[in-house]
Amino acid sequence: MAIIEDQRPLELTTGHEPAATESPSPLGVFARPKANTGWRSWVNTVDHKKIGIMYGVASFFFLLVGGFEALLIRLQLSVPGNQLLSADLYNQVFTMHGVTMVFMVIMPMASAFANYLIPLQIGARDVSFPRMNALSLWIWLAGAIFFNSSWLLGGGANGGWFNYAPNAGVTFSPGTGIDFYAIGLLIMGIGSTVSAVNLTVTVLNMRAPGMTLMKMPVFTWMNFVVQVLLVFALPVITVALLLLTLDRMFGAAFFDASKGGDPFLWEHLFWIFGHPEVYIMVLPAFGMVSEIIPVFSRKPIFGYPFMVGSGIAIGFMGWGVWAHHMFASGMGQLSVLAFSLSTLFIAVPTGVKILNWMATMYGGRLKFSVPMLFSVGLVGMFTIGGLSGVTHAFAPADTQQTDTYYIVAHFHYVLFGGALLGMMGGLYFWWPKMFGHFLGERTGKWHFWLMLVGFNLTFGPMHILGLQGMMRRTYTYTSNQGFSMWNMVSTTGAFIIALSLLVFMGNVVFSYRKHRKNPVNPGADPWDARSLEWMIPSPAPEYNFAEIPVVEEFDEFWHRKYGHDENGRLVRIAKTEDVVESSDPVTVHLPSPSYWPLVLALGMPLVGYGLIFNLWWAVPGVILIVAGIYGWVMEPATDPDASHGHDDHHGDPDEPDAAEIEAGESAESELVSASAGSAGVTADGGDSQ
Amino acid sequence: MRNNRKSYVITGVSLVVCLLLGYLLVSNIGSPVGRPLTTLSPRGNKSQAIQDLIIPVFAIAGIVFLLVEIGLVFVVTRFRRRSDDVDGKDEPVQLHGNTKLELGWTIAPALLLAVLAVFNVNTILQMDDATDPLEVTVIGQQWWWEYRYDLDNDGAPDIITATEAAIPVGRDVRFKIQSNDVIHSFWIPALSGKMDAVPGRTHQVILQANEVGMFEGQCTEYCGLSHGLMRMQVKALSPADYQIWLTAMTTAPAQPDPKNELAVQGQTLFVSQCSYCHQVNGVTPTSKSPYPYSTVPDPDYGKTVAITMASGNAPNLTHMMMRQHFVGGLLPLYESGGSVAQAIPEGTPDTNNIKRWLRNPQEVKPMDPNNNQGMPNYNLSEAQIEQLTAYLLTLK
Repeated sequence: MAIIEDQRPLELTTGHEPAATESPSPLGVFARPKANTGWRSWVNTVDHKKIGIMYGVASFFFLLVGGFEALLIRLQLSVPGNQLLSADLYNQVFTMHGVTMVFMVIMPMASAFANYLIPLQIGARDVSFPRMNALSLWIWLAGAIFFNSSWLLGGGANGGWFNYAPNAGVTFSPGTGIDFYAIGLLIMGIGSTVSAVNLTVTVLNMRAPGMTLMKMPVFTWMNFVVQVLLVFALPVITVALLLLTLDRMFGAAFFDASKGGDPFLWEHLFWIFGHPEVYIMVLPAFGMVSEIIPVFSRKPIFGYPFMVGSGIAIGFMGWGVWAHHMFASGMGQLSVLAFSLSTLFIAVPTGVKILNWMATMYGGRLKFSVPMLFSVGLVGMFTIGGLSGVTHAFAPADTQQTDTYYIVAHFHYVLFGGALLGMMGGLYFWWPKMFGHFLGERTGKWHFWLMLVGFNLTFGPMHILGLQGMMRRTYTYTSNQGFSMWNMVSTTGAFIIALSLLVFMGNVVFSYRKHRKNPVNPGADPWDARSLEWMIPSPAPEYNFAEIPVVEEFDEFWHRKYGHDENGRLVRIAKTEDVVESSDPVTVHLPSPSYWPLVLALGMPLVGYGLIFNLWWAVPGVILIVAGIYGWVMEPATDPDASHGHDDHHGDPDEPDAAEIEAGESAESELVSASAGSAGVTADGGDSQ
Repeated sequence: MRNNRKSYVITGVSLVVCLLLGYLLVSNIGSPVGRPLTTLSPRGNKSQAIQDLIIPVFAIAGIVFLLVEIGLVFVVTRFRRRSDDVDGKDEPVQLHGNTKLELGWTIAPALLLAVLAVFNVNTILQMDDATDPLEVTVIGQQWWWEYRYDLDNDGAPDIITATEAAIPVGRDVRFKIQSNDVIHSFWIPALSGKMDAVPGRTHQVILQANEVGMFEGQCTEYCGLSHGLMRMQVKALSPADYQIWLTAMTTAPAQPDPKNELAVQGQTLFVSQCSYCHQVNGVTPTSKSPYPYSTVPDPDYGKTVAITMASGNAPNLTHMMMRQHFVGGLLPLYESGGSVAQAIPEGTPDTNNIKRWLRNPQEVKPMDPNNNQGMPNYNLSEAQIEQLTAYLLTLK
């Protein structure tokens, strides 16, 4: 069978537009995609930056969805005995809020930054497996849409985000919401696993020459820890979800005590995943703050080895504390003792980070641009979440606190005050690098202060409510329980947060318009920053680095600009313009775009719908998945013609090229290039097979 | 050389504000008045032990909080870039770290936590201590709690009641926590921490009330639709009152007075309509087979079908009016409100509450009777409601 391939090498260089040629399509379905602009260039892209941006946009959309659910929760609880939501609807809303925020906001938003920045920070052209990168985006997005489609197909999941058995079984939750939960998370888990493997390999294999592990930026380090955590944590939740699916759909009895199963199995499996998950969510933000604070303090990060070491320590210790979510579960005194002690000591590496950030600022020259405001906000707010965390490491006290609003307050201080504030700072910080213009500074300050105030008004009072006994996941309360006042305060705060998000969206729109009207390029290095991504033009060109930098020191870019005098004070040694990349690249060839990851991903939710409603629906899903894999395998990673007639850098050891590495995977490439060149169809048209 | 006064002032002001807020919080948060579920007002020995452990922890956390946050305020104000700062002049010293300092702030908190860990371990070990405890079996179900007292230790319960448990003050009580359907959590904040009720397992909570009182509780593990309204009470009585309660609970209530026609009709109606799920000892036939999922092999509950007092998964109402609350602890049965513990409740029964419940149970508490979760609405006529209410009032 002849595989027909597009001939055209993808030249992603300097504005040279290759003439559109008629391109034949592999398997007679798709022409090799070639769109460089327009929506097609996003659909078929394997560029880590575009993928990162799409992760960001999608996760922000889900932030609005989850935020809307949060407002519904707060409205319902604003006054005692409120009838706005029924108990059933409320249970769906809080479950969907939790799952959405964890799996569709915090994790993918961190993925957005990781995808965009890791290759730039380590001086690489792309990730190790660019098409797999696209695959993880599309699978995650397919799973997220699938999960949320449950709202239209019989109601959302209503078991809480940790979805304890046996309440999650068909006997007690006969609706389809929990099926969507199980299968949706399974699908998203596939995407996250692929992405985690990809980024782990990228960090290990794709670093620029000279960049040893201990010269990597802290952001890359923290994300590296996260990816390794994901590689080990996701299989656990996958197993748990599979067992749940088998229980619900095929009458297995893994969690059914009456048939010899055990509800504890789910609890343990969920939290063995669930606790590392907390660090998976918060470490990327820690990484961002560790980049932002040194830049705006004009000082290096204080105690780089301690920052990295504490991140690794958190990653390791995170595996030994899961059962602190189960102090009231009745797992037995010995287990309680062990996990109570291990939990106490995980506070230590986290505390080290807080103090090191403060020491970084100490003696610096602090400039409070918006990214810095958010970073300082994280330091202050995460401290509160960390301290309340220590108070429930004391297991007997936790039996009073757990499943009350005290816990709700705690984890929102960790995930909102930690992860989300950090990532908001990250958005303001890297926005010029991503889009070539600044977000408005004044509006940004409004955004920050509104968010900080709203956040504290929303979640601060929950500490009090929890200690006064307000139970978590209650759809209402009565006026004689004494919860009324602080709930009203909390609801007010939630709307201030919503307002701050509106301000942020306004900022995005207006700063873009302003930029359109009067484009001012912020230049490669708008913040006088430290790491490699600031050496290249803004927005980052498709090829990343015209010339892969050779790294000699941690904070390489900074050290090309600055030295220090005999007193250790900062001295400029080179102008920024002289050290940033300015040259046009010699021809680089990049991994070629592909439709197959999208095709493969589209099949997954169809299989999901099939499992839930009617197995026939799974048939087209399976066909798409198989076709996707087949087409993928048959398609060479890099357009074969890229190696002809160009002065590219094949075999140059100084230039680890993502495209070349992946090209090695595909043994077909030679074969394909030999048979390529016949006539074909236009871009994405063509007959189906 | 540089004027840092502004920084000191801001730092000082924020310290004062923090302390003030902290004082307001601490002085208000502990009071149990109007806060029936507060965790900070222990009335039992175990909850007191928890309080004694956590208050110093809160205090230390508060001090660390102040040090970090005030330190942060100081650093960001003191080292703020000033308008007269020029790049390239008096730039910051490029300090890369200080291993001794960092080791210090790694080891110091670890040592502090190690010291606290000793108290923590001590309290954990203390939680299961009990001498000659009264044993009460607690069975969680959607969305109410059943209590069983086996007074003669023959393995068969002598008292089965719901929602409201009675215990004597000053004696250890071991609540054996079980579940009949999904995971619930038994929690009386004034007396002890919470404990999950997990199908197929028996867990325990040990507690001792230090004073007489009606202590509120709340299910705290999400258990489906009406989780938020799944409440319970523990009524701590003086030992003498507790004996009175025991005697009343083990004596069959008198049949309704034949002159009380409504009550007699109500009894007939009860037997024909309500006894599928509810039991009144000696009146309703022995229990029906429970709902399909109540065959969970709970060590005690598995026997329920053989126990004449057990119901088809709804509260045993033999001594309903001996309770001061019903509807899973949600509503008071007496107009006095039920916040004062009485061995035998006195005062006027709140018939409005009873009738409201009979008229449309789902309006009071969301339930899903079609899925065997909760009480169906039988669309009783007002006359039937009057009859049933009259009968229920005799169950004391």
